Amino acid sequence: MALVRWKNKDLYDPWASLRSLQNEINDLFETDRSPAATGLFDRSFSPAIDVIEGEQAFTVLCELPGLEQKNIDVSVESNVITIKGEKAVEKEEKKGKFFKKESWSGSFQRTLPLPASVDIEGIDASLKDGILTIELPKKEEAKPKQITVTTK
Amino acid sequence: METKKELETKNRTIPAACDIFQGEGNVVLNMEMPGVSKDGLEISVDNDRLLIHGKKNIKHPAGEFRIREIRDGDYYHEFTIDSTIDRNKIDAAINNGVVTLTLGIKESEKPRKITVNVK
Repeated sequence: MALVRWKNKDLYDPWASLRSLQNEINDLFETDRSPAATGLFDRSFSPAIDVIEGEQAFTVLCELPGLEQKNIDVSVESNVITIKGEKAVEKEEKKGKFFKKESWSGSFQRTLPLPASVDIEGIDASLKDGILTIELPKKEEAKPKQITVTTK
Repeated sequence: METKKELETKNRTIPAACDIFQGEGNVVLNMEMPGVSKDGLEISVDNDRLLIHGKKNIKHPAGEFRIREIRDGDYYHEFTIDSTIDRNKIDAAINNGVVTLTLGIKESEKPRKITVNVK
């Protein structure tokens, strides 16, 4: 019997690419393109957001690639937080043509109602690498408290 | 089974919104990769393949998700570039989560104007 070249089965998986295709298609159905919560004046462009409730604070993450600090406006009014902004269209491109255009531009707005437990005064927002992070601390009385039991 | 699933989600990649623009003498690729920093971006050219891998680095604070729209996974794109692209003239920049790749077209491939001399 001639020598057969050793092949590590773990290294090459013939189904790997097929599986990634399957994942990709499943992803299409799983992720809803339409936002989960929209306000009355929200525009058609809705950047994706995450809202996480922690013990001490709520955190809102918003995907805003290509936007600068001056183009983003975050405001709170009667317990409703509004993220507003405008993504400028690049006008400098003069000669040439687009082969593909998937990014969006224009103005957007997202509003989120806030629970009463949020401390409006302590809201903090920061922008890094195209991700806007808004920290909404909870009021003291809404934070979980540990009560120690004393023995007598 | 659990570990297998974990591995799959770990390796999951998502495509970034991409603009391809052909200008004069170059091709400009714009990719939206929010959450990718300069250190998390890897761009490589392998013969006629242009590979772009952006590591998404979003720190989720501990807690429960109330709304979850941001997709998990790294950004990964693979493009085929032909011989008209000058391999030494590929520039990349990242700004506010937008990756801009400028691919220069070889001098020899650029349109040339030949003037006709009258004798």
